[in-house]
Amino acid sequence: MVEPREPQAQQASAVGARSRAAAARIVHRVRDRGQSLTRALQDQHDGDSARDPALTQEMSYGVLRMLPRLEALAARLLKHPLKPSDRDLECLILVGLYQLEAMATPPHAAVSATVGAVRLLGKPGKAGLVNALLRRFQRERAELLEAVLEQPEARWLFPSWLIARIREDWPQDWEQVLRVSNEHPPMALRVNRTRDDRSSYARLLADAGITARPIPGLETGLVLDTPRPARTLPGFDDGLASIQDSGAQLASVLLGARTGQRVLDACAAPGGKTAAILEQAQNALDLVAVDKDATRLESVRATLGRLGLDARILQDDASSPQGAWRDPPFDRVLLDVPCSATGVIRRHPDIKWLRRPDDIAALQMTQGQMLDAIWTLLAPGGRLLYATCSLLADENHQQIAAFLSRRADACELPLETDWGRPLPHGRQLLPVSGGHDGFYYALIEKRA
Amino acid sequence: MPKLDILTFPDSRLRKKALPVDQVDDDIRRLVDDMLETMYDAPGIGLAATQVNVQRRIIVMDLSEHHDSPLCFINPELVWQEGKEQMDEGCLSVPGFFEPVTRAERVRVKALDRNGEPFTLEADGLLAVCIQHEIDHLEGKLFVDHISMLKRQRIRRKLEKEQRQAVTQSAEQRREAI
Repeated sequence: MVEPREPQAQQASAVGARSRAAAARIVHRVRDRGQSLTRALQDQHDGDSARDPALTQEMSYGVLRMLPRLEALAARLLKHPLKPSDRDLECLILVGLYQLEAMATPPHAAVSATVGAVRLLGKPGKAGLVNALLRRFQRERAELLEAVLEQPEARWLFPSWLIARIREDWPQDWEQVLRVSNEHPPMALRVNRTRDDRSSYARLLADAGITARPIPGLETGLVLDTPRPARTLPGFDDGLASIQDSGAQLASVLLGARTGQRVLDACAAPGGKTAAILEQAQNALDLVAVDKDATRLESVRATLGRLGLDARILQDDASSPQGAWRDPPFDRVLLDVPCSATGVIRRHPDIKWLRRPDDIAALQMTQGQMLDAIWTLLAPGGRLLYATCSLLADENHQQIAAFLSRRADACELPLETDWGRPLPHGRQLLPVSGGHDGFYYALIEKRA
Repeated sequence: MPKLDILTFPDSRLRKKALPVDQVDDDIRRLVDDMLETMYDAPGIGLAATQVNVQRRIIVMDLSEHHDSPLCFINPELVWQEGKEQMDEGCLSVPGFFEPVTRAERVRVKALDRNGEPFTLEADGLLAVCIQHEIDHLEGKLFVDHISMLKRQRIRRKLEKEQRQAVTQSAEQRREAI
């Protein structure tokens, strides 16, 4: 026998089917193999060109954003649970349900392209099942949704342990936090002030038909009305601007490094905050950018290169630094510690499923070690800005409270901003709809 | 491994009934390997021994994208089937033609593997269709037997014409070579 001929409509939607199969594989790698979404997307880009990458990306992000709801729907629609070897097929079903539930794709096209993708997963025998399942969802959507929304995970689109933790730390705001974390994030830019100013760059954008508004409270921040690929921004390759959330842009403002100072960025990769610190001081700093991960340091190098900024980029571990770069002591230190990243979930929805409850305690310990180790590199009178993109007290103000109680030479300074809200120590930025992501900052000075 | 010649409809040898294999030995395994090579080269997703003019009950298949999941059924027997499914089928012995054929949606097949070990496989979708298509060959049946006589006659005439042309062409080439 030879391979059966595909029906006409299916041939026409070959790109559609490939995009859906690619999205299913990406979700499968994140959900079932614990790979990060960024990495899984990158690998797919490298492997396959005959599809629509923007569509694949939208579907992969979307499915991971809505995962428990889609899983609960699929579980109700499947008569028997699928075999473990069919997890990729299950992910394709989730992709199909996502399109019907959250995308503007005409339903018949969504179904036929998804059914076409079954074959691309090498499981042609399951096309009938997927077709029947998606059509049944179309018919019974209202009742099915009503039933699954009774489960908190399906309703809030968060794992229950994380709902509990956020609820505990933010008893008044947790619902708002979860809602905003499931939204699409805005796209903010930081204009490279060593090369252009905000108003002239905004005119460049306008000339290219891109509408952007200045971000109040940031001299170089702009937010786009509609997100778009970085490479399509005017002068991006020439280093006129960078993509950076407004809450992250705040770090360089709060650190306030001045020309000629010796500055350390202790967990620098991928280099966005490093670059912002340098730009703010007109690239006139003795800046050391350190990170544990050699591959990610390459992205620091690339970022600074594109923006025309200078720093010593070195591999070392902030929890037990060894290099000769430690001398002499630093005037300013940014310690942007590894954290749960619970404040940036709307940009990285995979975090919700990759993080485990045990991770928080482990991260908390690493953060404490880093604070202690990096503190010794600070000059008397120098300042350390502690930063996380976490929403959890354990990683944030409680971490700082513990640190202040064990270091007699540490005293907390007020932060020069009205963003977010004050905590017993430091300030918390909760994610804001159309605004900044979730961040925590605390500024500590070493007594002279 | 030598590649084998595939018979083309309406060759009468495709109508012969295949005999069961009494012992799965090295000769049979060699035949299986040659059949797989012939099938991959064609390219096809299934091949019955009848199609390479060996009247033994042997079929091979591979439905995978990367040709890395060969299946071999010796003395295959359908022990159960249910449902109905229609697919546009094509056949290495009926090159270039595709016609819708209705077959069972799910089947269970009993057979010996290449080591002579008995096994049972439940299949649906394309795999189920392919198994039924290949077992038909062992009975001397082709997918064109499942379509209307009018369509079958048209396919037969076109293939006969192509075969006449191919013979003339190769004769001319031989003459030129001399």
